Amino acid sequence: MDASSRQSFLGENSDALLAQAKVAIVGLCGGGSHVAQQLAHVGLGNFVLYDPDHAEMSNLNRMVGLTFAGAASGAMKTQIIHERILGVNPKANILALQADWKLNRDPLKDCIAIFGCIDSFHARLELEGFARRQMIPYIDVGMDVAGSPGNYGITGQAILSMPGYWCMRCMGYPSARRLEGEAKAYGMAGGRPQVVWPNGILASVAVDKFMRILTPWNSAPEALPCLYTEYDGTRQTLKSHSCLQALKAADKICNHFQGPGSLGDVLL
Amino acid sequence: MKTVFRITQGLIRSIHADLDRPHAFAGERVGFISCRQSVQSGGLAILAEGYHAVADQDYVDDPRFGAAVSGSGFRKMLSLAYGDPINVFHVHRHECRGLPGFSRTDLSESQKFIPDFWKVRPGITHGIIVLSHDSAQGLGWDPVDRRPKPIDEIQIVGMPMRWMWEA
Repeated sequence: MDASSRQSFLGENSDALLAQAKVAIVGLCGGGSHVAQQLAHVGLGNFVLYDPDHAEMSNLNRMVGLTFAGAASGAMKTQIIHERILGVNPKANILALQADWKLNRDPLKDCIAIFGCIDSFHARLELEGFARRQMIPYIDVGMDVAGSPGNYGITGQAILSMPGYWCMRCMGYPSARRLEGEAKAYGMAGGRPQVVWPNGILASVAVDKFMRILTPWNSAPEALPCLYTEYDGTRQTLKSHSCLQALKAADKICNHFQGPGSLGDVLL
Repeated sequence: MKTVFRITQGLIRSIHADLDRPHAFAGERVGFISCRQSVQSGGLAILAEGYHAVADQDYVDDPRFGAAVSGSGFRKMLSLAYGDPINVFHVHRHECRGLPGFSRTDLSESQKFIPDFWKVRPGITHGIIVLSHDSAQGLGWDPVDRRPKPIDEIQIVGMPMRWMWEA
């Protein structure tokens, strides 16, 4: 029995497809560390990793692969995930970039999917915009905790922004309220609350979305592809966002990335 | 240098839908794909942006070819490329399944019209795509040495993703 014998239902070419595929993960902490680990387990062959940060003790609560020693030494997050991937799949090719993706975009261009596992709503939209410009599927993972002591709620989302389908803005994510709130909080110190289990759930849903487009294991056509899965951590539910039905009912076509010059490099 | 051609599932369906339509006298339909390019480390991605059907009146009744496009038909695409920095790919379909090949006529006729696109939009790759009912293959003319090179990989971006590699 080889490493993939229990996932042969993914198709006879799935091993080769996965080994050949190159995927980028932007942000390697709560969501991104789970995504990287799962993709290593399914046999993905090529990774591009982005994270400019060192690991800290405050990451231990959610970053899979991070050990106490790693956090204490302040290792780069890219280094930790690099080792984690190679520990599962020693044949994986990994380009680990200790940088903001905007400072080194080229390695993203030949990926077949980009996972965005970053905190900022504005940064997610920028990354989605870049992916759309290159015609690369973008998968967004994020969670949020809001409320007051004794009355907190955990929510989150995994969204597939697929060229030719609705974009995140069409799907109402992130909301204008969230973008406005983030703009008002610009420069304020402190991160939003994050915990490991919703990150794990949402990263799994994101990997599911990726595997469905790469190695679909059920050829029955979906009447309405689940591009946007929302998570309610209080009710312990995952469901397809209601906006999808509304967009379909309205026969809405995404026009946000459709104009002349919306694709590729800018040529004059 | 690796060349990848990306096109959405929706756009490829639109192209097939147009090529399915019978013409009054032409044996087949043809069209043009307007594209943008993205330079990558070690390669080039050609990104299909839109499809431009050849209008009924822009076919020439020439029994030597399945479809022949008139000067007027070509001028419409040349005009588009003059005003906008697009890569132009001629597209037609062979009525078969599996990886299609280029006929001798495909290659000789393309060799005649591809250079015209450099007159209006020089320095970038233009080319041809041949479809079958379930696959595709392409050639891109290098703007430097002006010779055709196989598109190494055609990616259909959709659900599911599909790849067609140069045979």
